[in-house]
Parts: sequence; C-alpha cells; structure tokens
Amino acid sequence: MRTRILISLAFVATTSLFASYANADNHGADIVIRVGPGDSKVGYDTKDYKTDSRAISARVGEQTDLLKFVKNPPLGLPPIPQPERNPITDEKIQLGKKLFFDRRLSLNDTFSCAMCHIPEQGFTSHEVVKAVGVEGRSGRRNSPTIYNVAYLTRLFHDGRESTLENQVWSPLLDHREMAMTSIGHVLGKINSLKEYEGEFERAFDGRPVDIETLGQALASYQRVLVSGNSPFDRWYYAKEEKAISVQAKNGFKLFMGKAHCATCHVVREDHALFTDNAMHNTGIGYERSMGKEPEAVRMPIAPGIFAMVKQSHLDELGHTGPIGDLGFYEVTQDPDDRWKYRTPSLRNVALTAPYMHDGSILTLEGVVEFYNKGGIPNVTQSPLIRPLDLTSEEMNNLVAFLETLTGDNVVELISDAYSTPVGDTVVE
Amino acid sequence: MNIKKFISTPLKVMAPLATAAVMATSPVMADETCMSPYMVKIVGQEDFVYVWTLGVEGLGDGQDKMVTVDVNPKSDHYGKVIHTESVGGRNEAHHSGFTDDRKYLWAGGLDSNKIFIFDVHTDPAKATLVKTIDDFVSKSGGVVGPHTTYALPGRMIITGLSNNQDHGGRTALVEYTNHGEYIGTYWMPTDDNLQGAVKSGQFADGYGYDVRALPSKNVMLTSSFTGWSNYMMDFGAMLGDAEAMKRFGNTMVIWDLHTRKAKQVLDVPGAPLEVRCAWKPENQYCFSTTALTSQIVLLHDSDNDGTWTAENVSDIGVPSDIPLPVDISIQYDDALLWVNTFMDGKTRAFDITDPHNPTQVYEKQIGNQVNMVSSSWDGTRLYYTTSLLGNWDKKGDDNDQFIKLYHWDGKEMTEQFSIDFQAEKLGRAHQMRFGAYSLYGKQAKVEKDENAKVAMNK
Repeated sequence: MRTRILISLAFVATTSLFASYANADNHGADIVIRVGPGDSKVGYDTKDYKTDSRAISARVGEQTDLLKFVKNPPLGLPPIPQPERNPITDEKIQLGKKLFFDRRLSLNDTFSCAMCHIPEQGFTSHEVVKAVGVEGRSGRRNSPTIYNVAYLTRLFHDGRESTLENQVWSPLLDHREMAMTSIGHVLGKINSLKEYEGEFERAFDGRPVDIETLGQALASYQRVLVSGNSPFDRWYYAKEEKAISVQAKNGFKLFMGKAHCATCHVVREDHALFTDNAMHNTGIGYERSMGKEPEAVRMPIAPGIFAMVKQSHLDELGHTGPIGDLGFYEVTQDPDDRWKYRTPSLRNVALTAPYMHDGSILTLEGVVEFYNKGGIPNVTQSPLIRPLDLTSEEMNNLVAFLETLTGDNVVELISDAYSTPVGDTVVE
Repeated sequence: MNIKKFISTPLKVMAPLATAAVMATSPVMADETCMSPYMVKIVGQEDFVYVWTLGVEGLGDGQDKMVTVDVNPKSDHYGKVIHTESVGGRNEAHHSGFTDDRKYLWAGGLDSNKIFIFDVHTDPAKATLVKTIDDFVSKSGGVVGPHTTYALPGRMIITGLSNNQDHGGRTALVEYTNHGEYIGTYWMPTDDNLQGAVKSGQFADGYGYDVRALPSKNVMLTSSFTGWSNYMMDFGAMLGDAEAMKRFGNTMVIWDLHTRKAKQVLDVPGAPLEVRCAWKPENQYCFSTTALTSQIVLLHDSDNDGTWTAENVSDIGVPSDIPLPVDISIQYDDALLWVNTFMDGKTRAFDITDPHNPTQVYEKQIGNQVNMVSSSWDGTRLYYTTSLLGNWDKKGDDNDQFIKLYHWDGKEMTEQFSIDFQAEKLGRAHQMRFGAYSLYGKQAKVEKDENAKVAMNK
C-alpha cells in the first residue's frame, strides 16, 4: 500500500516537495493527507467558489520515527539543540505528543495545544486571525507556528520566554488560553488520567509527572518538529539546479540584496534559520495601538457576497475596553522596546498564513507589499525597514522564492500527528 | 408530596386545580409550534417555561442553570422564577429539547460538550438534573458542540456544530436512546465523502446546526452555522476577522428520516440556522432563515419527486445592514412566521399563507437585543429571550437579558411580564421550553408559604 497525497489548493507547493513521502515504504490502507484546512476556502471571495471539504473521519495518519530528525537533521538545518538536562528520547517524544493533543489539559476539558497549533494548518490556525482560547476568550495575537521552534532562543511573539521546557506552562495557565488554575491543578489532572499511568516514570527514569518533567515531555515533541530539505535547500545547499524555478532564484537574489530581507531572516553558508532571533518593530504593532480604526471594514458574509461592517458594530459587540499590545516592552518596560516582536522563521511560511504577530496580513503577497512600502514608520521602528522600491515583478519573484521554503517532511509530520489520539473525556 | 396539606388547602387557591384537571382530560394537541411532531403535547395554557440560562462570570453563582418560570396566570407565582437548577461550570448553554415522552429535557453545552438531562415530569415545577452525558465527544468520534436535541420515537437526534480536530465547522448528527445510550454518528456530507448524497450545487461544507423532521415526506432537514472557533469567539472580533468570516455554513442537507442517510445537499448561502416545517398535512414544506444574508428560505419538494429546492423568498429587514435573523417560529396554522433579528432587537411577523411570497405584516421592538421566540400552540402567547451566545451578546447597557411574555391578538402585542435575568443574578436567558402538569396526569398544588408548586398525581 502507499500513502497518497492530496495537496490543498490553499498553498502553492511544488509536487516534488511531497514526492519523497509519497514514495516511502508505507504499510496499511491508503492515507490521503491534505496540507491546509479540511474545508478549503480558496476562492471564497467569488461567486464561483466551490467547496473542497474533507471528512473528519478521513483525518488519519501513520506514526513516524521522529527521532530520526535528531540523528539526521533535514538539509539546511543545524543539529537540533538538546538541553543537557533534557536529552531527546523517543519515550519523551511520544509522551509529549500525547499531551500536545490532549484536550483535557484545560480548565473545561476542551482545549489542547493542537486546537491552536493545528497540524495541517502549518501547526498554526488559518481559520482565525487571532487565537481563541478556553470559553472563547480572545487572544491578542496570531498563533505562531511551532515548526522549527527548536532553534528559537526567544519564544512567543514578544520573546518573553527562553526555553521550550518553561514555555509550555504559559499557555497551560494563561486565563485566555487553556486556563488551568495552577501548576498543581495540571499535575493533579494528569495524575487522575489513567492513560498516563506509568508514562512519565517510563520516560524519565522513574520520575513522576512534575513541573519539570511535564515541560520536558512537551518540549521534546515540539523540538523534533523540524522541517527542512525544502526545494530551496536542495538548490542552495545540495546544488540541485532544477530544484527551484528561475523566478524563485531571482527572488532569492532580491531576498539577499535589494530587499534586505536576509538582514533579519538570516541565511548562513551551511544552514538557514531565516531568523535572527531578535526583536524588531515593523510598525504593525504601532498601528494597532496608535492608529485610527476605519469607519467600516469589508467582510465576506457568503461566497462572493460582502458587507461593510461598521466599526460602531464591532465596538458594540466586542469586549469593552481596549486590549493593548506593546510587544517586547511588556517584558522589558523599556520604551524603546514598544511594538517590537520576534523575527519569525520563514521556513514553511507558505503554510502558516495569516501573517504578522496579529495575523493582520492574509497573504504572502500582502506581506511583501507591506515591506516594500517600508512598513509603518513610528518612533521605535527598526531602521532596517525602509521603502524598497520593488517592482511588481520583483515582488512576485520574492513570493515565488518564499514558496520554495516548505520542508519535504510536512506531510509526514501531519500524518504522524493524525496518528495520535485526541484526548477527550472517556466514561468507563 | 403531602396529600394532607393539599386537601387542607383553602378553596380560593384550588381554582387552578380545577383548570388543570379539565386540561388533563382534554385531547392532546401540539404544543409550541417548533417542537418535534413525535412529541407528547400540551393542551391550552402552559404552566411553566424552562429557560436554559448561561452563567456569567461574577454574576450570582456564575454557572449555567435551568430556570423554571411560572407562567400560569392563575398561579400565585405568575411571572416569577420558582426554581433554578445549576449544573456546574459555564458550558455555553444553548438549546434544549424534550424526549418524545416529554418526561426529560435534554440541554446541551456548546463549549463543554456536556448534555444535561432534566427530569420535568416528577415535579414539573422543578426541572431537576438527573443525568449528565459528559463523554459526548469521545462517544461520537469527535463531534463537538451538541446543539439541537430533537425527539424522534424513542430516540434523541443531536446536531453537532464542530469537531475536536480543528474546532472548525465540519460536524455530524449524533443519535442517542431516550435513556442516554449512544447509538450512532452520521457525518455531514463533504466533497470527498458525500455519504451517498447528491451535491446539487456548489457546496458541501459538512457544517451543521439545526434539525427538523417532516415525517410525511420521510425527511429530516439540517442547516449549517459555524465551528467552535467562531461561535465561542468575541462577536466584535469575529466580525472584523476576514478569515473567520469565511467559516460559515452555506448548505442544508436533506436526510432520509428512517435510515438517517443523507440524500441531498442544497446550496443555502449565508448560514441557514433554524428550521421550521409547516404543520398542515397538505403543506409539505419548511422554512429557514440565513443569519448573514438575511433571507427567508423556503425548502420544498414541489414536484414530489424527492428532489428538494431551496428558494430565497423574502428579505428580512435590510440585508445590507446585517440585522442577523436568529430564531423563528411558525404559527400552528402555517399563516405566520415570526422572525427575530438580534441586532435591532425586533420581532417581525411574516404572512406565509403564500409560502413563495412572504409579506411582513407586523414588527415590534422587544429589546436592545433579542434571540429566541416560543409560541403557544394557539399563537396567542409569545415568549422572548435575549441571549445569542455568551461572547456574541451585546456589551454594556445594550446587553439586555430577560424573558418577556407578550399576548398577541392577531394585530398587536401586549407585554404581560418581564423578568430581568441580570437583576435576578441568573445569567443570560436563552432557550425556552414549555412544561405543564397536564402532561403527566398531575395537578398543581399551590401553597403560599412555599416557593414552588408541588405536583401531585391524580
């Protein structure tokens, strides 16, 4: 048997990207993996829109050996960093994965990590611009992808956390996310679930679940979600001339040169993380804080049908009071850090819409246009961001390049995620 | 029950008992007009309205609760809350429905996915929680958001709104026995698996919302709303979210009532919500309304060949203003359709004697916001509540939360009573279901020194 691949129209991806997994030696029934939302909304802005929906019951996959990415990192990526106190093991990965998809790790048993970091949606969410948490509580920011988080030295959009082991506690305890009330609450709940009996002890040499082992297990799963060996990697690092198009090559030249993208989205001789792990102000945050809202926004209300929704309606129906977001300033309290956010990696960027820390730009084309205009000038804007004077053709070339950054193991990682049962309440 | 006390009750408070006794011997007819045709019915005056109420953090006990309101005008407690049954947590209380024998009321939580089953027959004055189904998601294979709980013979069919995989809109129908035992899951048709249905237009989104049966045609009809991420999201945030706004249903599905097999997927753009079917045997059609595009939609099989059509037959208000049609109620004689619009807080009556050409004949402001409407069978009493969803209700002073009763004389509505659910520290008033002693061969006992009526067996 083989695994068949269905490529979502939501993304522009090369066929070769998926070929290696399609030809892999798989066993069992045919599996069709879609990269992108199961109910595609591509073309929703026209009356010609046709649904392209997949059955929930078809969301099945195969477990894969994630540890192999530790032994052999994908082309274009450096070795996966491993903390001295938390070397990666298969037992920890499997345990962390089970926790990641367990909806019971929330106040009312409805919310797992994976409800915001949806595997087929780039381990982020395409379906909402900003995250929605327990009881529908409003997040301030877009769910960041967790592809390649192993290499990040600053975590969250505002860079407030430094290790994955520590990071996992924020969403678990955040009132707007999973809303568990205390560390003890989390640990007690896991101890009460029979699916975890002996699991921590097996993974951690006899240690039970505690504040450290829980973080280590979840971090171990996230740490192996690395994705490289993209068409770009095969062209740039493996010298496969035909791995990407001429247009994409021209886009890369702009990326490294005229467009100055690589200043922050760093490319090195032996690997490329496409991030400098630093904090920058592009102007998006400033605009949200200081700019004036439009009187009305044009929104789709059905395929090809739009309505102008008045700002007064949004205010009338929205939460009272402003929900501020000052970025890195909230960590440092330094006015110079207002509206600074971490540079995201661009790997798999074609899969992780919507973009920017608040999801306010829906397409890669929109992102390139934003930077071409020099972002939004303000008092703490990064001096690296300035008008680029790119032509339309050049912007198209940049987008073509960005679309070559999708790793070749994306389908494999999605399939592996699908093979993991979702944790829900079970009554014996 | 204390029979001695009952016997010693003074004559002047026995009057309601005489009425109830007469009711109990009358032939049964249909109750409020949106209920399952398989259901045991109330005749005449209802005694109680059960209001499935959302808890509000910081208000009262903050929990969802079933609120029992005394609505018999001959009662000492007419227009008063006589019992509340808190269920624990905020579950996004939404809709509820009786079993076909009308002994139990099933009420779903769109967020927690719990289904709370209330005993309404032992003492109809106290809807009492007797069972909670809290493994709906795992039992159903991943269905999230139990919405409509609808009576079929010996069964409850439950519509889902979402799923546990991506919290989007793809979902299923789920069937239970009246005793709360899981039977099966019937997924909504999607493009890769139409479940045997015919896709008659451009859409097969797999979304769900409401369900109604039209036994004479052997069909069930389902509508489509949106997934967890949207219905739980702050309404203002969602209306400004260009991705979220694409995640609404645009379909209705025709099902074989007996086999539970999907037969046909119809394009109904703009989130068709409530479904109501005509009552007269010769009127074999149903209505829905679209929340976002503000249309009354007629569903019919005019050629009687099993092929259904969805036809937009009237605007509701000014569609470009997005008045947001929500609950609807069809009159017993298929002459009127009541349509509530959340944004302007109005109820509108449409003359539907020609179902292809509804005409608005009446309009009244109910509050700053309004959602549900429940009608007595004879159409003379219309109850209204206000809450749409916990995070969709208006904020500040516009956040009315009440139940109101109006009398309708065919030309004008007159308010009878109103209960402010915020002042009473109850929460957000959502769906209403009617209760009556006469259903169970019981009579009311009224005692001035008690908060509630006590039922007694005849």
